[in-house]
Amino acid sequence: MDPFLAETELTITRWHGVTAPNEPARRMAADLINTIAAFEALRGTLQFEDEPASFEAALLDTRETP
Amino acid sequence: MATFADLMLGNLSGDAVTLADLTLVQAAEAVRDGDATSRDLLDACWQRMEAVNPTLNATIWVDRAGAVQAATAADAARDTNSWSGPLHGVPLAHKDMYYQAGKRCTCGSRLRTDFVPDYTSTAIERLSTAGAYSFAGLNMAEFAQNPTGHNREFGDCHNPWNPPYITGGSSSGSGAAVAARFVYAALGSDTGGSIRLPASACGVTGLKPTQTRVSRYGAMPLSFSLDNVGPLTRTARDCARVMSLIAGRDPKDPTSSHLPVPDYEGALDGDVRGMRIGIPTNYFFDGADSAVSQAIETAAEVLRARGASVTRLTLPVMDAVTGYGGIISRVEAATIHAEWMRHRAQDYAQHLSGRMYPGFAIPAPYYVESLSRRGPVLRAFAAEVFAQVDVLATPTIRTALPTLAETDIDNGPPGTEVTFLAVSANTRPFNYLGLPAISIPCGFDANGLPIGLQLAGRPFAEARLLRMADAYQLDTDWHTRRPPLLGTTSDNPGIILA
Repeated sequence: MDPFLAETELTITRWHGVTAPNEPARRMAADLINTIAAFEALRGTLQFEDEPASFEAALLDTRETP
Repeated sequence: MATFADLMLGNLSGDAVTLADLTLVQAAEAVRDGDATSRDLLDACWQRMEAVNPTLNATIWVDRAGAVQAATAADAARDTNSWSGPLHGVPLAHKDMYYQAGKRCTCGSRLRTDFVPDYTSTAIERLSTAGAYSFAGLNMAEFAQNPTGHNREFGDCHNPWNPPYITGGSSSGSGAAVAARFVYAALGSDTGGSIRLPASACGVTGLKPTQTRVSRYGAMPLSFSLDNVGPLTRTARDCARVMSLIAGRDPKDPTSSHLPVPDYEGALDGDVRGMRIGIPTNYFFDGADSAVSQAIETAAEVLRARGASVTRLTLPVMDAVTGYGGIISRVEAATIHAEWMRHRAQDYAQHLSGRMYPGFAIPAPYYVESLSRRGPVLRAFAAEVFAQVDVLATPTIRTALPTLAETDIDNGPPGTEVTFLAVSANTRPFNYLGLPAISIPCGFDANGLPIGLQLAGRPFAEARLLRMADAYQLDTDWHTRRPPLLGTTSDNPGIILA
């Protein structure tokens, strides 16, 4: 088995008690390698001030005004 | 029964036309003006449903007795000039994930086959206050988690234009039922495209509102951060009427916006002069089918002829939008379903448990980073894009529509998930950004399946999007075409291939 997938399955079982239900689940778990790559590409953009509530403020600040 | 319909729909004729062919607004006006009773409308919708639903499988349950009772009450109220509101006596049906106290609500899943909620969703409550009633629970993807319309438990939903093809999901029954004209309007939900995709695939109009615009109270949760409630209808005008009723602050949903609700229907004046339309040069047309690209260009020309301007632009921060946007719903869905995933995983379809499973391995800092960056990414996107244009125009689905078989992860070969996930590539970005987006029909692909034009705008720009969509529908007839399944009429051949 692919070492990354084996490690991922182990992590999920250990932390959540969930086992891979089927082959599509394993294939999609293996694809998390691309998620990591996408996040690696975004490193350096996160600001210290960013916090979740800023999204609602951004919706209002950028909204359509009559 | 065709007499009044022929009167209202002067461009239609033939035996196949009934009161079920009226738009939502026309149906409401027919009851208001005494040209039809609520029972007339219900009977027409029911008759159409019985004729086409064996092919489509667009419903999970139906409630004839309850609907007749509601129609009778609406007609009795009309006789005494007691009006409920702008949808008085109009029969509707909704995606089977909107809770109605005392009524079964399956959420499309074996795990909720016998679930009966004891409270009613705010959106349903508001439609009911306006005089509408519902007669069916419409088919949907299990727990609203696929973009195709597959459903292992209740059977796949089929496209009215060509049944082997997907309806789009997850509001599959909503799209199919409105397209097949046995429901005047249906609520859907949209976490990654689930209103816009079936609207596009079935050739109807569907609006995903701005995040926070419509209360989610009593709607089955998929992803707390990205879920939206919205309508699927035949026309932009119908969509505006529903939005005017369901939008607005709801104390039961603390995340709902306090902003006042505009008169969406009143804004439909056909005037798009001076509006700036932007067609993206990156991301949204990557690998697009040529018929789809051409349909979007042609649609933009229609709006240009009405006075809008059309420009090309490169969208900023798309790597962040797609990278972060792919995280939130997977983690939130996995969390919501954790207990069932531990103990009843085999009661999910494979494509569903398969998609949720990796969500458990995504580290919390990735999830928080995705949420944390959402505001700044929206600000960066809006500052650059909406300085140049008012509305973005893209395909809703960038490829020719696939078949159910081509996207069947449970029974297909490895790699089927690539085709499956590609269906929602153009809708998901606007969920992360929280922007409103509408899909309207703008043509047909080589297989005779509808093509959708997606228009997206600033937060709370629903009125602008509806006005533009309505203006487009004043000059085109894609939204008036009838699926071949309904039979053709002498004046309206239905399908015309691109």
